[in-house]
Order: sequence, then structure tokens, then C-alpha cells
Amino acid sequence: MEKELKIINDIDEISALATEIERLGEQWKLSGAMVTNINLVIEEAVSNIIFYAFDDQKTHEIKIWLSLNNKLLTVIIIDDGKPFDPTKTKVPDIDLPAQDREVGGLGIFLIGKIMDSFTYQRNDNNNILTLKKTVE
Amino acid sequence: MELKFENKGNATVAYVSGRVDTTNYDEFEKQITEQVNSTQGAFIINCKNLNFISSSGLRVFLITQKKLMAAQRKLFLTNMQDAIKEIFDISGFSSIFTIYSTEEEAL
Repeated sequence: MEKELKIINDIDEISALATEIERLGEQWKLSGAMVTNINLVIEEAVSNIIFYAFDDQKTHEIKIWLSLNNKLLTVIIIDDGKPFDPTKTKVPDIDLPAQDREVGGLGIFLIGKIMDSFTYQRNDNNNILTLKKTVE
Repeated sequence: MELKFENKGNATVAYVSGRVDTTNYDEFEKQITEQVNSTQGAFIINCKNLNFISSSGLRVFLITQKKLMAAQRKLFLTNMQDAIKEIFDISGFSSIFTIYSTEEEAL
């Protein structure tokens, strides 16, 4: 089973995207917890792209391709923004007390924690993020 | 996201419901900060109907905790759904917040 979703680089697209993913979760009979996790990692990745990938004021398309094969859920997110490898970002120190914790920097960390694998490629001027998780 | 507030004794309780995500965390932060600034005593966020949170929302919880700690006030989170608690656990947030299963325990 597979599905391709397309949005533009506008943060308001996140709400419609979340609804689409919930609908897909029902069709693919994923658990509620799984749908929440998938929604979370996609929001983190896509909002990063929308906020930081584009320096021009133009409209860009972001593609989100999802597949479910033999219990392996794969999400591939493609954008044509500037090169950025999120798998290389600084990991927040989650053991610090509240007053020393940095505000922010958690989004990409959450993707890595929730998914089984999280990889980045740069290809033909596109950033390609591949996220995988085995579905229970 | 919907937010309403109630005063209970010396404490202020915030009831948050729905999604707190990149599209609305700024509104969530604004309303919570206004309440924190205009009240005294303990602050409770009842998360019973909070269905979804992303890192933008977590950020507001952290800011609120820092603010209340600086004012030597207490922040309690209550009634958290399992999926939300899991995100707090993964982020290391469970150790920087006092989390109770019911609002009564926090009051």
C-alpha cells in the first residue's frame, strides 16, 4: 500500500496534512498510537522544511510519500530547498534540569527516537528524508 | 486547540484540549503566559483532553516551567494521556515536571 501527499511550504498546510494521515491510518488499520507518532514525526520534519529550507519567497512543493509493506512503514519526504541534513544536528541533553534545558531543538531528536531509522540523501537538488518504522 | 482557565482555591487550573502543534503553539503560549502573569500560587495544566503535542508545544511547557520556577511557584501537570506521557518521557520532560494522574492530587 502506498500514498503520495503533496503540500506547499505554508505552515497552515500542517492541519490538512494531519487529517490526511489520520484518514490513511484508518485505511491501513494502524493503531491510534502509531498514527499519532507518524503525525508527530511528519509535522516535525515538514515544519522544519517550511521554516528553514527556502530563502526565496516562492511557493515550493513538498512531497510526502508513505508506504506500508510487510509491517514496515516508510515515509519519504522530499523538498527542493537548500541542502540540510537533519540527521547531523546537535542532540539536546535531555538529562538537564528545567532551568538549564534549551528551549527548542527537540523536533529532530523526537524523529530519531520514535522511528527505527532516519536517513538523509541529497539528490538532484532535492533533500530526501527517509523514515522507517516496523508496525506492531 | 482550546484552552480554558479556572481558579480553584489558591491554584489556577488550565484545561487544554485538542492539538498543540506548530500551527497554534504561539496562541497557546500567549494565553498561558497571560494567565501565569495575572495569577499567584500553584499553576496546574490539566492535560486530559490534550490529544497531540509536537516539539513546538513542548517548548511552551518548558518556558512555562522556567517562568514559574523563577517566581518560586509550582507547576503541576495532570491527567495526561498515555501517548502524550510517552512523548514527555522520550524528551526527558517527565523528570523536569511534576506529573499527577488526577487534578485532585495536585490541588
